Amino acid sequence: MNAVKKKFDWGKTLVFTGIGAYTVFVLFPIYWALNSSFKDVNDVYTIPPKFVPSEPTLSAYEWLLKSSARGAFLDSLIVSSIATGLAVFLGLLASYAFSRYPGRKLTSEGSFFNLLVVRMFPPIAFLLPIYWMWKYLGLIDTHFALIITYVAFNLPLTVWILRNFVDEVPRSLEEASYLDGYSFWQTMRRTMLPLISAGLAATIALCWIFIWNEFLIGYLLSGKEVITYPAYLPSLRRGMRIMWNQIAAISILASIPSVLILFFFRKYIIRLYFK
Amino acid sequence: MKLFTTRTQHIWLFGPTQLIIVCVVIFPLIWAIYISLTDYSPVVSPAKNFVGLKNFIQVFKDDRFIDSLGRMAIYSGFGVAIQVVLGTALALAFVKYIKSGLMRAALIIISLLPMMMAEVVAAQMWYLLVSAAGTFNNILISLRLKPIEWLGKDMALGTVMLADIWQWTGLTLLIVFAARISVPEDLYESAELDGASEWLILRKITLPYLATPVAIAALLRFMDSYKYLDKVFIMTYGGPGTATELPTFYAYLVGFSYFKIGYAAAMSWIFGIGAVLAMLIFWQLMKGKRTGGTR
Repeated sequence: MNAVKKKFDWGKTLVFTGIGAYTVFVLFPIYWALNSSFKDVNDVYTIPPKFVPSEPTLSAYEWLLKSSARGAFLDSLIVSSIATGLAVFLGLLASYAFSRYPGRKLTSEGSFFNLLVVRMFPPIAFLLPIYWMWKYLGLIDTHFALIITYVAFNLPLTVWILRNFVDEVPRSLEEASYLDGYSFWQTMRRTMLPLISAGLAATIALCWIFIWNEFLIGYLLSGKEVITYPAYLPSLRRGMRIMWNQIAAISILASIPSVLILFFFRKYIIRLYFK
Repeated sequence: MKLFTTRTQHIWLFGPTQLIIVCVVIFPLIWAIYISLTDYSPVVSPAKNFVGLKNFIQVFKDDRFIDSLGRMAIYSGFGVAIQVVLGTALALAFVKYIKSGLMRAALIIISLLPMMMAEVVAAQMWYLLVSAAGTFNNILISLRLKPIEWLGKDMALGTVMLADIWQWTGLTLLIVFAARISVPEDLYESAELDGASEWLILRKITLPYLATPVAIAALLRFMDSYKYLDKVFIMTYGGPGTATELPTFYAYLVGFSYFKIGYAAAMSWIFGIGAVLAMLIFWQLMKGKRTGGTR
């Protein structure tokens, strides 16, 4: 009788339920942090839980602007921006050397592979000696030590990624530029930069996120004067009264730059993962 | 002319990079070899007595270290396996069932959100949910169910694993999704014309094409879950007892909490060599697979 009626597709329903469940699973912790950050501290943990703040307040965010958390965010911003600038600049020069002088002893494939080994070692393996080195030099708790350490850890990444882009630029362009009498720097600016600008921007974004999000280096090299926000976060959990709404607010605020970067650079970041 | 023939240009181009890496990475590592051969422990005495390979042998006799390796097998092995299987399944489902481009983009961006956050932030968000008086338990209590000890002795490792799955399933999803949409579509068309079943198409076309990207995703995740101790640090600090003490976290405690520097340096080197060995073995396996002719 009902031959025309479509058969109920169990498989499809199951798949869509699964996708829906995964989406809820991903979004719930983020939503909950957002929700908690607009609550008064006494409203964070209630039975039953409040899925929408009953009296929304910005007090957690106001506290962020006034307290030592602001300094932590500023330090993170300073360190990750300067370190990214240096790592990308030096990485670009190095990748140019690898690309254009592949046969030389200093810039051979073996040397390139050594760079990657730096990336493979677990950070804890380096951090013990690095910590003692900075301590010996009296540079713990300075922007300098943090920046140089981050540059060293991210140079392998920037060299590795940028080399792919530099390799794609034909040499003849530079040759023509040199023949016209331009210097190395002028040539870089005139021929190289415009051609790799998209790759360069994505590399900057990725490198910046890595440093912005890094915890252990920041934690060990930080102190009273200079502290990155991931290193600052655990300190909020000590003490008698834990301000969960402030912790939630820091988590939300800290994630905004990375989420914006993901949104604007989604195409490039997706491509970078396949380089 | 100076076109790519200069003797020195590559030296000053690469020199600064090399200098920073030698000073900040290579030199400290060499210092670590020296210190690993001593019993240096500044809280006990400032003396650095040469003890030979004793520290290295001690590592393999250390029950706490051996136990932490077992936990790593669960955390990095099982946990990463779930991420990779789940990510692959979701990526294939997105391609097959989600036809609207906007919907696909939205779903992928949502899946990538946790990945862009700091590990400590992800751990902190989860801590808000799973702590003893946290949101999950409050929900359970208001439903008149028994609260669960998410971070208790038996469940803590699983809970940290759940946070890791939450954060990183998106990576496999992204890698597999991109690989899947680059599989030539005519392969599928001709297979359907030949009347091949969906299962057969999945086994004979999709999975062979995806073998390499899936393996790369698994490797990236395995190495990272081995390398980073952030989630354990924030969520459990290795506890309760030693229930979530992963090897890198144990090394952190030995080096920065117990200050047994010589011993920690030996452990660091063992980790580093372990990571490089794992990488090389994987590389060889991949080479073997590649000759299978999938790409």
